[in-house]
Amino acid sequence: MKILIVEDEAKTGDYLKQGLSEAGFTVDLVRNGLDGMQEGLGGGHDLLILDVNLPGLDGWQLLKALRAAGRDLPVLFLTARDQVEDRVRGLELGADDYLVKPFAFSELLARVRTLLRRGRVREAETLALADLELDVLKRRATRAGKRIDLTAKEFALLELFLRRPGEVLSRSFIASQVWDMNFDSDTNVVEVAIRRLRAKIDDDFTPRLIHTLRGMGYVMEIR
Amino acid sequence: MSKWRQSVTLRLALAFALLAALVFAALGIYLSRSADRHMAELDAHELLGKLELARHVGRNEHTAAAFAARFGDALVGEHGVIVAVDGQKGPFFSWPDAGKARALAEAATAVGETPLRLAVAGNEYRAVGGTLHTGWGEEARVIVARDIRHHTDFLDQLRRDFWLAVLAAALLTAVVGLLVTRRGLLPVRAIARAAGRISAGRLGERIAEHDVPSELAELVVAFNAMLGRLEESFQRLSDFSADLAHELRTPIHTLRMQTEVSLAKPRSDDEYRDLLASSLEEYERLSRIIGDMLFLAKAEHGLVAPGTAEVPLRGLCQRLVEYYGMLAENLSLELSGDEVGVQGDQLMLERAIGNLLVNAIHHTPAAGRITLEIASQPEFASITVTNSGPPIPADAIGTIFDRFVRLSPDHEGSGLGLAIARSIVVAHGGSIAVHARNQATQFVITIPIHTAS
Repeated sequence: MKILIVEDEAKTGDYLKQGLSEAGFTVDLVRNGLDGMQEGLGGGHDLLILDVNLPGLDGWQLLKALRAAGRDLPVLFLTARDQVEDRVRGLELGADDYLVKPFAFSELLARVRTLLRRGRVREAETLALADLELDVLKRRATRAGKRIDLTAKEFALLELFLRRPGEVLSRSFIASQVWDMNFDSDTNVVEVAIRRLRAKIDDDFTPRLIHTLRGMGYVMEIR
Repeated sequence: MSKWRQSVTLRLALAFALLAALVFAALGIYLSRSADRHMAELDAHELLGKLELARHVGRNEHTAAAFAARFGDALVGEHGVIVAVDGQKGPFFSWPDAGKARALAEAATAVGETPLRLAVAGNEYRAVGGTLHTGWGEEARVIVARDIRHHTDFLDQLRRDFWLAVLAAALLTAVVGLLVTRRGLLPVRAIARAAGRISAGRLGERIAEHDVPSELAELVVAFNAMLGRLEESFQRLSDFSADLAHELRTPIHTLRMQTEVSLAKPRSDDEYRDLLASSLEEYERLSRIIGDMLFLAKAEHGLVAPGTAEVPLRGLCQRLVEYYGMLAENLSLELSGDEVGVQGDQLMLERAIGNLLVNAIHHTPAAGRITLEIASQPEFASITVTNSGPPIPADAIGTIFDRFVRLSPDHEGSGLGLAIARSIVVAHGGSIAVHARNQATQFVITIPIHTAS
């Protein structure tokens, strides 16, 4: 998957590029709107990450020009101002998602994966990792062949992890996906929820599947 | 010119002076006219009397010489009077001498019994003329004139005096007006001086409200009230800046300390990883404080405009109870009341009620009880969050919704939760209150079911 980043702030751009490259994407980074335009039109990218405040051609103009030229790649825009008008404007101009700076990198990664996955893969009905299996339609979870009773939210949480194996999920992303809580509260609700889920699916089994990345979130994978 | 237009004192003084000058001038003109008329009447009376006398003497005398002798006697002691009598055969009487009388006769050919002013030999005279039927059968023309110089001199003097009086009156009223106005406007100067003394550091300045004229009292009261409001908001602003600096300093201090200590000597990968993770936590804390502060600042300036979607309160509370309930394992958490929809912003209301719920969970002792009650009236919906435990101290009730207020020092919140809850509720046109109950604390949010718009 090839991602184009248009970001004029040097450090932010470099770390975005490094982070996304290490997450397995091919990444091109340009630092102004005109280069972004050129790359965006002819570079064959699958996703555009666009900073709104750019020298020369700004993000809005770039987005407009790309859409006018018929490029329909998904666009995720980054803004420093949390203004409703900004968001509305971006989405009206044809952006697919946005993030307000400062944001967590894991949040960005999750959004990027969602955008790239959108409309491409039919959601699987059974999910599995190691000896953990989840039947989404029958709402049934088993580990090592043993049936595990989960509450609705625990099930949703586990499904989220299984659909994104190896991805770091931030606490706010989890709260938003599972509980539809879309504001950042500094409570440890998600920690508690993860602890309970672990007690059911991890504590009595090996290998452990849910891992904590301190300060970043959680990841489900076989280590 | 512009300075005159700007100075009330000058304008008033000039207006007073002009008014005084006008009144005096009008009075002067009136008096001078009536004096003039009065003099003319006196003169006419005298002149017609002389004319009558001349006719009387003329009728009764039989020779011109007799007439001259008798009429001359009658005129003895009359200064400034000229009389000329011209018969058909020539002049036969002249008073006081022929020269003056002839000059008069020449000047006054057209004068009748209405007194006329004319100049004879450089002097001002008033004259009447008439026909005289003498006793000796001759028809003569009599002209009597009176020197009116002393009258005109008097009137001229009077006018000069009057103009001086007008000038003096104008000057005097201007000066008095200036002083009176200046004195009357002294409180305005006091206000100006007080305003001049006010600066950011000295907002405590006030203008004394007593001994101010009633017209200005309103201004002074309004001015003082404005100062009061300024002082209050300035105080709040500087408290806020100080609080903000303090709140930001704590995480930055932590970051700096841990980074410096870690860099002081080589460490293992795990230790570096630990440091970065710890830093990330502090960064998150900083971001959250900044985000919350921004939200509050926007709300304070009325920039938070809640949507007008229908938000089902019970459903919203249900989800919040489900979410935050995980934090309240040892507590009983109950939701009661029927569904009621309000117009507003779901995300914001979630945040407001969520903050109250988190606050309640943090302040409820183990095995305590938290209740959420939804109630609706025709116009309003209310959500009451009650938690058991020691009620909040009475002196904290007034400040509990302020920024950075933390009642329990061990609680690691930003201290902004309740402030944000209040600003959201206020943005929705509602109100929020806190009550200390018997072994419980109760927060009540009231939100209009339909927004005003």
